[in-house]
Amino acid sequence: MKLVELARTVRSKNAGPLKLTLDLLFDDEAAYRRVLQSPALEPGSVARLYGRREGTVEVLPHPAALAIKIVMDRLVVSGDVGDRDVYGAQQHAPLLDLEL
Amino acid sequence: MSAVGKLLDRRDCVRRGLKALGASGQLGYGIPEKSLAVGLERAPDYIGADMGSIDPGPYYLGSGELATAPATTRTDLARLLRAARQLDIPLLIGTAGSAGAAPHLDKTLAMVRDIARADGLRFRLASIRADMPRPLVKEAVRSGRVTPIDSMVPLSEAHIDEASHLVGQMGTEAFCRALQSDADVVIAGRACDTAIFAAVPALLGCAMGPAMHMSKIIECASLCCVPGGRDPILATLEGDSFVLESMNSERRATAMSVAAHSLYEQSDPDRVAEPEGVLLVRSARYEEIDDRRTRVSGAQWIPASRPTIKLEGAVRVGERAVLLCGSCDQRVINHISDILTEVTEVVRGLVCRDEPEDYRLIFRVYGIDGVYPWPVPPSPMPREIFILGECIAPTAERAGAVVRTAKQYLLHHGFPGRLSTAGNVAFPFTPPELSGGTAYRFNVYHIMQVDELAPLFPVEIEDL
Repeated sequence: MKLVELARTVRSKNAGPLKLTLDLLFDDEAAYRRVLQSPALEPGSVARLYGRREGTVEVLPHPAALAIKIVMDRLVVSGDVGDRDVYGAQQHAPLLDLEL
Repeated sequence: MSAVGKLLDRRDCVRRGLKALGASGQLGYGIPEKSLAVGLERAPDYIGADMGSIDPGPYYLGSGELATAPATTRTDLARLLRAARQLDIPLLIGTAGSAGAAPHLDKTLAMVRDIARADGLRFRLASIRADMPRPLVKEAVRSGRVTPIDSMVPLSEAHIDEASHLVGQMGTEAFCRALQSDADVVIAGRACDTAIFAAVPALLGCAMGPAMHMSKIIECASLCCVPGGRDPILATLEGDSFVLESMNSERRATAMSVAAHSLYEQSDPDRVAEPEGVLLVRSARYEEIDDRRTRVSGAQWIPASRPTIKLEGAVRVGERAVLLCGSCDQRVINHISDILTEVTEVVRGLVCRDEPEDYRLIFRVYGIDGVYPWPVPPSPMPREIFILGECIAPTAERAGAVVRTAKQYLLHHGFPGRLSTAGNVAFPFTPPELSGGTAYRFNVYHIMQVDELAPLFPVEIEDL
């Protein structure tokens, strides 16, 4: 099953000019649990998906909001020469194809 | 009596139900008129609006320009000024003019004075500067009181000198001082979003846990609702809890939508650091009153033993010129990576004959990896691609020369299997090269420990 079949929202945005934060929001607890328990959402798996080094990606569950937050460094500081996405609003794309 | 004086006079009453109207999360992009009118009919005790952010990148802080259009900005300011004066309630605006440095604040204040004159509005205006004195920041660096945020390098005195503008984020304390001078309208330079809304509750002696949490949520207007949006939001602070209600009847503040909002643009949503303390959100409870309103309680406010200020600065890196073109020739598209590498080399040879390689030429190929750095190209390749060439050079003339040369040699570059000998790319208009103005980057994003906040954020008063 794909992540997008269970998530209500898959979004990315800067958290300050150096960090990228990706939020996965769910409508129900079952979907949230299912995704949280998937090996595809382990920090190492997400790091590989994003071509990052192991240990540089955090996956943080937020049960009160039925949400999972992924945090990593931006590759380029927001707006610096060579940046592709100043707001970091389009960096969730690899998650759209993610198989759980 | 000032607007805030009237509030303080009936503090026992308003402390039981203090109504804050969050008018805009980014003043200057237009406030939905109908929902603002609904909000004003609810007789709020004060109005707040955030006018800036670090999100749009370093250009605005660096250049001193507004991100919003002057006409729209003036319209938004005029609407809020008229409303606040009509109801005779405080109006507080934070991070004036997109980035909150002196030129942004001055441009905003000029609009405010102009609106007051044109509309015959009379009020006491307080402005709060957020520009950091450079000698003081250097002294803080020397004494080890400045630390980098995230992966920034340690701050040096050169960084401080180079930054075209250097601001600090003021906290609730600065807005309180402005209100204590009997200001009806407070226009602040760079400010924490929360401070805009937390000052009135702080002056009234409200519990700061819920007050700060409320402020954190309503600075984004109705973004905490489903569906989220820009409409004004009304928050009613009632002792140890507050109630959220969007002023657009189609937006619902649900327990889940409000809880999820705390995640937005935060790497650690459980902990919001402010100059005067830390807001801990994990203990918060969200309880739906009906299908449009949610009551929130339980967040904790831990005052800091020593205040800290977030510093922001941007430095000029050069002048930008861009080239816009595209292709729908499969042969060009299949070879585009090699073509651009080769063209870059050809350009280097031509523009560096008598001059040093003092520029950076970058191509982004939309359709392949313009937005996200995909590790491998798509298969099959797209039917069309868009090519954005960008040059950053010491002068606009130099940047323009580089992209013009790139344009011509990209158009006519030869590659294996080429059939398109009249031109490899299409230009959407003429000229296809544009000046992008001055380019900046953030070179200061650090935390500075201070002994006292007040001297760093001076309040100026004028009676209009």
